[in-house]
Amino acid sequence: MNFLVASIESLGAKVVGWFTVGYGMLAFLAKASLLLLDHTTWNRATFDVVVKQVYFTAVQILHVFLGYTLVISWLIITIILSTARDFGLTAFASEMTIRVLVLELLPFLTALFIALRSGSAINTEVALMQVNNELDALVHCKVPPMQFEFLPRLIGGVVSVVTLAGLAGLLALLMGYLTIYGVSTAGFGPYTQTIAKLFDFQIMVGLIVKCVLFGLAVTLIPVTAGLETPKKLYMVPVSVLRGMMRVFFAIVAIEVVSLALKYI
Amino acid sequence: MAAVADLPDGVARVALDLPLRANLSALDNIALIPLYQGHYGAAESTQQAQSILDQLGHADIALLRDPDMTPAQRFVTKLARAIILKRPRLVIDRPGAMLYDVPYPAFIRQLSAQAEMTGTWEIFDFSWNQALYQE
Repeated sequence: MNFLVASIESLGAKVVGWFTVGYGMLAFLAKASLLLLDHTTWNRATFDVVVKQVYFTAVQILHVFLGYTLVISWLIITIILSTARDFGLTAFASEMTIRVLVLELLPFLTALFIALRSGSAINTEVALMQVNNELDALVHCKVPPMQFEFLPRLIGGVVSVVTLAGLAGLLALLMGYLTIYGVSTAGFGPYTQTIAKLFDFQIMVGLIVKCVLFGLAVTLIPVTAGLETPKKLYMVPVSVLRGMMRVFFAIVAIEVVSLALKYI
Repeated sequence: MAAVADLPDGVARVALDLPLRANLSALDNIALIPLYQGHYGAAESTQQAQSILDQLGHADIALLRDPDMTPAQRFVTKLARAIILKRPRLVIDRPGAMLYDVPYPAFIRQLSAQAEMTGTWEIFDFSWNQALYQE
């Protein structure tokens, strides 16, 4: 009986914990969104930090990211093409390539890439700032942490994921064409028709919304996880662990919901 | 000492519990204030920050980040940040906790002589350290 009560209590505490975390994230997002609309937020200082964030999150890693995209795209396209040939479905190879790579895999891998590189760094930095009282010091100096530290990271994350996923998609489309048709222009007509048929308004909006949500997940979750850190140095690794687990589940959840909405 | 932390908004504090932003240089830590409060441009804010460091006689620490500073350099940066806030009162809270590498009453006296600032600096320290302040 005691075991049952303890289990129910533990489950209840976990559920309440999830709701508290979810509420905290939504409240933080609402506050950030309201600040985005406030014209005083858009001063030179915030703009400079946003530019710096986009540089560190997207531009600095561009060559590595594009190289990795090229390898993954070439590999997946080759697998799809050879499988399509085996089953006599070559006509569907380009559509399959675009669906698998551009709409699903590359945005997902981009989000994972940014999460591992920048999300973990953001989580650690915010947790250390929280533990070391640096945020309190900023507040004392009337420098709003939301405008100076957090909002630029959120914007940087969203802009980076959207642009990197877009770039990766374009690169995959080019790679797909070259692998299927070679350097000849003969396939240009059917290939662009397939692209035009696939990328209707609904799909484009869905893709952009998905990338924006990925961008928010890889920045908002680490920031809020960092802010939850108790003021004890040994809690920083725990905070990063929790934050990154939440980011992983959020990215997977966004992808699953997107797939379900598209194909079910 | 809890009373120090509860001081009103019009007080600029220099304290151990108000650290610098670790990933910013001394200059950037100070320049943040005019950038956000005065809405000055980046160049003007940096110039204001540099001029305060010059006045305090520590222009050479401008590019150092917190982990690379000595306790005295860190204190000077915090002090410059408090000065640039331009608040009516400036309180130095338990200087001994921050300035453990120099004889601090003399060091603060020297800084205050160099910095031609208006207003006074108040030092909140433990009563048993009072003897240290007697010249």
